[in-house]
Amino acid sequence: MRLRDLWAETWEALDANRGRSLLTVLGIVIGISAVIAMTALIGGVRQGLMTQMGLDRSRVVNMAVYGSQQIKVEDLDKLQKGMPEYEYITGSAMGSGKVASETKSSDGSITGVASHYFDVTGQKLVKGRLFTTGEDDSASTVVILDQSSARNLFGKGKALGEKVRIQGIEYTVVGILEDGQMSDPKSVNAYVPLHTCVQRVTGYDNVDTVAGMVREGEDIDSAVRQTKEYLTSYYHLTGEDADNLYVSSTKSLIDSFNTVMFGFQLLMTSVASISLVVGGIGIMNMMLTNVTERIREIGLRKALGARRSDITRQFLLESVFLTLAGGAIGIVLGYVGAFALAGVATSVLSSAGGSDGGLSLTITPVIEPMAVLVATGICVLIGVVFGYYPARRAARLDPVESLHYQ
Amino acid sequence: MTPVIDVRGVHRIYDSGGVPTHALRGVTLQVQRGEFLCIMGPSGSGKSTLMNILGCLDTPTSGTYLLEGLDVSKLDDDELARIRAARIGFVFQSFNLLPRSTVMRNVMLPLLYTDVPRADRERRACEALGAVGLPAEYYDHRSNELSGGQMQRVAIARALVNDPALVLADEPTGNLDSATSEVVMRTFLKMREAGKTVVLITHDAEVATWADRCVHIRDGRLLTDEQERELVARSASRGRGRT
Repeated sequence: MRLRDLWAETWEALDANRGRSLLTVLGIVIGISAVIAMTALIGGVRQGLMTQMGLDRSRVVNMAVYGSQQIKVEDLDKLQKGMPEYEYITGSAMGSGKVASETKSSDGSITGVASHYFDVTGQKLVKGRLFTTGEDDSASTVVILDQSSARNLFGKGKALGEKVRIQGIEYTVVGILEDGQMSDPKSVNAYVPLHTCVQRVTGYDNVDTVAGMVREGEDIDSAVRQTKEYLTSYYHLTGEDADNLYVSSTKSLIDSFNTVMFGFQLLMTSVASISLVVGGIGIMNMMLTNVTERIREIGLRKALGARRSDITRQFLLESVFLTLAGGAIGIVLGYVGAFALAGVATSVLSSAGGSDGGLSLTITPVIEPMAVLVATGICVLIGVVFGYYPARRAARLDPVESLHYQ
Repeated sequence: MTPVIDVRGVHRIYDSGGVPTHALRGVTLQVQRGEFLCIMGPSGSGKSTLMNILGCLDTPTSGTYLLEGLDVSKLDDDELARIRAARIGFVFQSFNLLPRSTVMRNVMLPLLYTDVPRADRERRACEALGAVGLPAEYYDHRSNELSGGQMQRVAIARALVNDPALVLADEPTGNLDSATSEVVMRTFLKMREAGKTVVLITHDAEVATWADRCVHIRDGRLLTDEQERELVARSASRGRGRT
């Protein structure tokens, strides 16, 4: 039997049972929508969390040297020259002390930052400007506050351009920064140029955190390896000191994060696919009814020369067409549903977070071609699996008995 | 010349529910090309079983059946299906048309299972419908919109469309009134004139008069006309003796 004929016969049969075909397909539509919506939403949550946690800045390599040797402020430039695989190397020094405005005073953390530091943390400038190289070199008394610190010190009033006193010395606020991921909104976080911090706040020239941005196109893992070798030789880390080295990228973190999210995705998708099984059973039920109703037709077709395979194929194509059509509708509905749900979830999360900052996670569902492909494959599979038994039953009917079936 | 039907010593035993039913007990029958044969018999005589075997819907338990010289008694399901598609046309008592399909599609149905190219199918269906005398205006009607006589003519056209060696008709006039029956029987006559071999199964003696030759089947055995007359006469005299 030719494919085109097979198709014509299938279409006629489905068209004759239009209402029932649509109802049967509904199970598959719901199942596939659920699976697609889950995949898209969890994909969206993963993307959102990656951005939120800064994991998308995966080209950052953190490094540290412990023990008797430590990375000094003046080392940063030399490391940069020695390791060309980095676009830049930046660092920070941590200190703490009293930070005060005209009206308020609070204990806070004072971080000295080299240039590009905020590119690595992902914090964005809200108002004003970053430090200039000149300000860093001359250890100028300029400061950048994050938004909650500005609010804590100046209330609703203007902070930019005002003065704050840090350990008794007057600094000018040149920039306002958005809050960091880990910062406590109730405390004060002040950022000063690295040299300012070293000379005026901490008083010693160690850099507490050092991070490099690997050039685009460079392999992160090999950059990590080269950095280890370079630092080992630079600081002569031999013998007991050999282990006093920390070089790590966020890549491994991302990998484990992705594994966790993938597991989560798999779990949710499995739950959603239960409805697919239910839909498949619906298809089987309809096809069995179909076979029983059309026993005489099957008998006639066999008497007129249809072979078993002709009958099997006709009924299989009917069920596969049903599941595929259901799948196509389901994929579209699934994505529509995912975007609707994502909108709701985003607004709920942001309102729940409130003024505390909380979770301001933006979920944008991810349309993965792979998910569409797999869903389509699953539909065909369901059609074949749940259509096979009824089709085989039809094919094995005895033509003589079927013709006289009432 | 090879007969179209050459059945020798055919037995058919059904093994349903443990008790074997001996439906055919050694049937031997030859039918020549262009012959119009009628098989008569009461219900339960084995005539349906014989019809199924002649139509390659069933195979004998023992004995041979040569259809146009080809032994079909040992073929499997799919091989039999091919034979049916290529060489046999069926006409059923209850027409067995697909009710929602058009007349055209119904007639073309057997060609789906043959190698006839799509382009030829419509032409052949029109020829077959022309041969049974159904007016062209009905070709696009759904088959459930037709009268009984029209339906049976569509069914006969369907039996003719694959140009079979053998046309088998099982009580083709069973659901028709006598005027319509005559139209249908004339169609069979025309087929025979066109060189087709027709085997008709009926229990209606009037229908049997249209055939060239008539065989009777009783308890799974074939009887000639003379044997049948003798049998009938004997049972009639037994009936008289009792009263």
